[in-house]
Amino acid sequence: MARRRTPARSKAARKHPTKAAPTPVRLPRIAKGKKPQYFSDPAIDKLLWMTMTLMEELSVARDRIDTLERVLDERGVLRQKDIEGYTPDPKARSARASRRAEFVDRMMRAAQAELSASSSAADPHEEARRAVEG
Amino acid sequence: MSAFKHHDMLPTPDHDEQARQDFVASLRGHLSGRLMPGAYQIYERRVAPALRAELGREPDETEVRRAMTREPYYQFWSAMQRRSQEMLWESVIDPTERELPALIDRAKSRAKPAVKAPKASKTSKEPRAARSRRRSSLRLDPSLPLPRYHAAVDIHLQPGAYHTDSTADDVAAGVIYDKGLDLYMGGALGAENGLMGETLVAYVKERHPALRPRRVLDMGCAIGNSTVVWARAFPEAEVHGIDVGAPVLRYAHARAEGFGAPVHFSQQNAEGTDFGSGSFDLVVSHIMLHETSKPALQRIFAECRRLLRPGGLMLHLEIPRGHTVFEQFMHNWESYNNNETFSRYMTHIDLAAEAVKGGFARSKVRVDEFAMQMSVAQMNYAENFIWKILAAER
Repeated sequence: MARRRTPARSKAARKHPTKAAPTPVRLPRIAKGKKPQYFSDPAIDKLLWMTMTLMEELSVARDRIDTLERVLDERGVLRQKDIEGYTPDPKARSARASRRAEFVDRMMRAAQAELSASSSAADPHEEARRAVEG
Repeated sequence: MSAFKHHDMLPTPDHDEQARQDFVASLRGHLSGRLMPGAYQIYERRVAPALRAELGREPDETEVRRAMTREPYYQFWSAMQRRSQEMLWESVIDPTERELPALIDRAKSRAKPAVKAPKASKTSKEPRAARSRRRSSLRLDPSLPLPRYHAAVDIHLQPGAYHTDSTADDVAAGVIYDKGLDLYMGGALGAENGLMGETLVAYVKERHPALRPRRVLDMGCAIGNSTVVWARAFPEAEVHGIDVGAPVLRYAHARAEGFGAPVHFSQQNAEGTDFGSGSFDLVVSHIMLHETSKPALQRIFAECRRLLRPGGLMLHLEIPRGHTVFEQFMHNWESYNNNETFSRYMTHIDLAAEAVKGGFARSKVRVDEFAMQMSVAQMNYAENFIWKILAAER
């Protein structure tokens, strides 16, 4: 059954029910200094920046699903605080590390493709063209 | 897998924050282990031959940089490396911000003046050793000017760097740096980020086995991760740590107190301190020099000489800057992309000559490349790093 949440009982309020909430401190998120431009078109810099952020959040979501599945499997009941408090055992940590490595590897093929292309001198498209032209 | 040990001056990340930190670790492992070596291949196969043909000689670092920054492979790696550094800090800032009030309270409770050890009484339940334990201390100087080389840009892209207070009694910069350093080094500095201190201690024990320092000064100590190592290696010594950043020092003090390692932290500039002349047996620093400046370097060496008693030892641990032009170019990525402005100048600075300008006798100065003999436990998490060590005897 879904739990009803009133606006007054925010997540923070539930975590620290006895303390009056002080004005939260905001820590800086941007480092002082000019950001270098890496590509001829600055739009590419921004797109890559966004892609990597998405990549991170996808990885986060996958970790969360993994937790969910393991908790469900272990306890048979799904409770929110079970997920928040889950600590993977060494076996689960190692499985996660391998999965993450595999994921990063797949994402990075865009960059790595150039390496394998530069290792072969012949242009395979030239060969394909010759083949189709008969 | 990192051997880094959680302690009570660090926030406990929630589920997704932990997943972000894990992702950053995986990403950076891939960028440095898989993608970065490809830049060497691109250079050897394509860029170097073209440059040699064009110039009729070996290219210098500027020419290598001009050519490489036009290479799509390098552009991608470099842009991703930069973003991974930003992500690294973001993943640590979120949990720190959430738990900051509690962390500040904990640090403040540890900064209270030491209570005079009470005489043993029958009612006291504390063991004698705990009551008489030596305490750490903290001395801040809000009037200390920040050196321009330190504050002009945020070093390592850490937002606010080592010195920015976002609230009263702030410790956030230290909290963020401690966990960030573990992520940056891929866990290679060990349970307490102590590997650099351990390396320099190993150097002293190997090269100067008779040295029993009574007073040790660690310059540019930041969170005191290396300072604590010195306090533990020489428990009878009085160990001091100085830095220009207040929040890192508050954190360093709370952390050292939590670890039970007595260190006296004070907010001071290594170019000129208020310690007495000839008052130290050993003055050390760990990867500090490359964050300073050309003029500061000489002033720091002169100050080290002033602080040392005759026969005392100055030791600075640094990062080797690469042996070939291409290695130097790759090392200097940090300088152009990670706000380490001075580090690229270090490639061509003769540290021994600078120490001589600071007043040390040429015959008493040496620069060594040093790799520590590692324990089995250390080999589980660390590579066999080679460090550069500037050593000078007063």
